[in-house]
Amino acid sequence: MDIFTLAIWIGTLTFLGISLAKDKVKTKQALKMALGMGKGMVASILSIIFAIGLILTLLPPTEIAAFLRSQSALLATVGGALLGTITLVPAFIAFPLVGTLVHAGVSVVPSVAFLTTLTMVGVVTFPLENKAFGTKFTAVRNGLSFLFAIAIALVMGMML
Amino acid sequence: MIIIKKIKENLFLSIVALAYIIMFIAKPAMGIESVKSSGYYIKEMLMIMPVIFILTALLDMWVPKEKILRYLGKEAKTKGILLSFVVGSISAGPVYAAFPMCVMLHKKGASIRNVVIILSSWAVIKIPMLINEAKFLGLKFMALRWVLTVIVIIIFSWLTAKIIKDQDIPGEVLTRAGLHINRDACMGCTLCAKSYPELFEIENKRALVKPQEALDMDKLENAIRACPVKAISYNENTAM
Repeated sequence: MDIFTLAIWIGTLTFLGISLAKDKVKTKQALKMALGMGKGMVASILSIIFAIGLILTLLPPTEIAAFLRSQSALLATVGGALLGTITLVPAFIAFPLVGTLVHAGVSVVPSVAFLTTLTMVGVVTFPLENKAFGTKFTAVRNGLSFLFAIAIALVMGMML
Repeated sequence: MIIIKKIKENLFLSIVALAYIIMFIAKPAMGIESVKSSGYYIKEMLMIMPVIFILTALLDMWVPKEKILRYLGKEAKTKGILLSFVVGSISAGPVYAAFPMCVMLHKKGASIRNVVIILSSWAVIKIPMLINEAKFLGLKFMALRWVLTVIVIIIFSWLTAKIIKDQDIPGEVLTRAGLHINRDACMGCTLCAKSYPELFEIENKRALVKPQEALDMDKLENAIRACPVKAISYNENTAM
């Protein structure tokens, strides 16, 4: 557990203690609400998680790296950005991987495009985001994130 | 018919399940590997989701709408943007952990722009991630990408708020499991407490649900109908 997760736990438990001391009924209701939220989301979250597991097996990060290395800069950038949207690689795998790419002489642009869409745009989280915020919001947020991720990549390519 | 309806309601889940079934028949080894690599994410979820749900519910219960509106609403301007970046950056867990929190904040008056900022910075610019990035890609690379990302989020959150209106967001879907009182709409008229005194009580001029094991549906329906501002909602099907 990293320090931020730990801090959120400690903070929330303190909050819960204060809440309990102040008003038992309200606290009980909040906990019920939390349980309801959990019940409502658990199926969606599990499907996201198992979808990620599936994608990681069918499309292993090492193969993505090989693809980015072998293509022309333009194809690699668009491809990298697209691959980034469909997978959700944990940071501790993604950064070392992209690190080796950049050090091996792969252009910065596709690497950054991949890194940025990896976290900001989510095809697998789309159904859940859709349920929470509606199709219009989800489509606009993810669409703009994708375009701007490419913009970030291009600017970084010019500056580095 | 019921099965078809269930599949339609959980389309994504059904597709994933189907993909696994096909995989296990065609390539059992790959199927096992997929389950194994899901393990890390399940651990990640269990570490963060319970606490996020509790925190969201507690904030919903204790922080009044006016506060959220003042700090994260449309009028909060630069202060709201800054605060949204801070909230997103010190967060933990995957981006879907931000969904219930952001739905709650929006319901209580946070602007669309600030919700987009929280969601996006939650996804991309978390501090532990930045440390990791600096380690493997260098400080200059990390700093430059961080600055560009912040600029980009400022721009596209503004754009999103131009395109999306508050009415486009369905609202309380995630928090509306079971019985719910919209305390921001409640005027404290006491009609619900009169029609179902075992379940509702009035506290600080707002209605509150008393902890209750079994619900009397007839009485509950009467109370829901009695409410002049339609602040009480009951959702029997707690699954999404």
